Amino acid sequence: MKGLFGNGKVIAALVVPGIAVMVFSLVVPIGFSVYYGLTDWAGFGKFHMIGLANYRDIITADPVFWRALMNALILMVVTICIQNPAAFALAAVLSHLSSRFSRALRTVYFVPAVLSLVVITKLWVSIFNPTYGILNKLLHVIGFTGVNISWLSNPHTALGSVLWIILWQGFGWALLFYYTGLMTVPKEIEEAARVDGAGWFQAYSRIIIPFMFPVISAVLVIDVISSLRQMEMIFLSTEGGPGFLTQFVSVYLYQKAFVAGAYGYGNALSVLFVVVAVGLTLVVQQVLRRNDDAQ
Amino acid sequence: MTHSSSSAAAGFRPTALKSIGRTILYAFLILLAFLQLFPLLWVFNYSILKSGDLFGTELLKIPLVPQWGNYVRAWVDGKILRYFLNSTIVVVTSVAASVFISFCLAYAVTRMKWKLRPIAMLAVTLGMVVPIHTTLLPNFLWFSYFGLINTHLGLIIPYVAFTLSFNTLVYMGQLRTLPRSMEESAFMDGASWPRIFWNVVAPMSGGATVTVCVMTFLNNWNEFIMAYTYLATDDLRTLPFAIIKFQGEYRSDYAIQFACMTLVAVVPLVLFFFFSKRIMAGVTAGALKG
Repeated sequence: MKGLFGNGKVIAALVVPGIAVMVFSLVVPIGFSVYYGLTDWAGFGKFHMIGLANYRDIITADPVFWRALMNALILMVVTICIQNPAAFALAAVLSHLSSRFSRALRTVYFVPAVLSLVVITKLWVSIFNPTYGILNKLLHVIGFTGVNISWLSNPHTALGSVLWIILWQGFGWALLFYYTGLMTVPKEIEEAARVDGAGWFQAYSRIIIPFMFPVISAVLVIDVISSLRQMEMIFLSTEGGPGFLTQFVSVYLYQKAFVAGAYGYGNALSVLFVVVAVGLTLVVQQVLRRNDDAQ
Repeated sequence: MTHSSSSAAAGFRPTALKSIGRTILYAFLILLAFLQLFPLLWVFNYSILKSGDLFGTELLKIPLVPQWGNYVRAWVDGKILRYFLNSTIVVVTSVAASVFISFCLAYAVTRMKWKLRPIAMLAVTLGMVVPIHTTLLPNFLWFSYFGLINTHLGLIIPYVAFTLSFNTLVYMGQLRTLPRSMEESAFMDGASWPRIFWNVVAPMSGGATVTVCVMTFLNNWNEFIMAYTYLATDDLRTLPFAIIKFQGEYRSDYAIQFACMTLVAVVPLVLFFFFSKRIMAGVTAGALKG
């Protein structure tokens, strides 16, 4: 049987298409970015090699880049500290309901997650619209008649509004992950805790949450990756504004290259972005793994 | 949740309290469900109103005469059919290719014995972590060397590449649960590799295949930024672009924009309605085990 699963030709035939597609649309492009990131190319005409000047400028003299990273960090914190606990609590409640009711609710809660980000974004941009948006109308109905806020262009509300859309869309996912995680907890464990006189709070904090640690850490890694990845939503709502208050790295590098005509600079941003994304994911994974071993 | 029953002798009160608590809880859960669906309801509502109605003071408005004409205009003037066909071509092709390629890759990684396996695993992991947006700039250049910019193939290739990692992980999860003995005995009977794949392994992986198909379909159907960046001709563009286009062309005609949004959202909603169980199972299998 060794020959069966060690057949070189079969292995090559199975692996080559997949690796070829990945190399073509993922690895080579990153190589391109590394090269063009070292140039001052505008996207057309002649260009010069300028060494690490782009990277130096980004790191030492580009407040937009740092603001974009900061926004990703804020999104991460808000996701982990507010959205995840809310999703977990709701998942816990759903896991105690009758299975038919719980399934119907889960389906409804998940609907935003299957819709196109374009639709979601346009939806919320309409809701936040100062002239016909429903949010201002709702505020009028409940008594704040003088209120007329341009939610997405007011510097005080823009970031909050954008974050809200992202959290709203991601809520169904978080709920689904935690619900599935809760389903993996054997009923006996919970019952044993009850018999020992533990209340629900103790049962969750001492037994169920530690048991679910692998699921929680997987969700945390997903949170980190997706916080960095935000693009379409920003691109279609605020385009990073007002000023660069709601900027995210992927929107910024796109605007730099295709709008501002700084293709070389945009590529340098791309490379830094890959480094930050891979680096941060690895660090988070390592930290979580160490915690897991410690338990 | 039930530890309050320690005062069992009190009889009546805890049960009454519990049922009040339960009612409040249910009301809350249903209100939440309504809030999740409300924006959709709102969009649909305004899609059958006149554009001017949007500026009224009502939250929702019952249409005295539903303006279904908005949909006709979105469909005919907006060339939705063209975008719809383009989306279908790109998405169906990329789903088929991604499913086939990721199945092969997952099989090689979970079953076969070879030295470079860790490198293939690294590629799969990297594909999950690297943000697709970092490839937008270089790919615009790199694809144009091959004449792939402004073609459907130029969209299909990255659509396959960026769904490959997730799909491979889902298939790996499924394949690990299947015994090798079936393949071994088929091999003993003299079956060739293609036959083993098609007749033995593929049928056993049916569950994962449904998941992978639906997830890839949804992902690529909704994809916007690559389609927006790589396609320049109106005749080639896919559906999510229609909404953006309408915003430009029918700037003041809000109702038709809302009709367009509803149309674009319908396909994923229908698909989700029929496959919600598989989607939910698959999402967690792929994402949490990865």
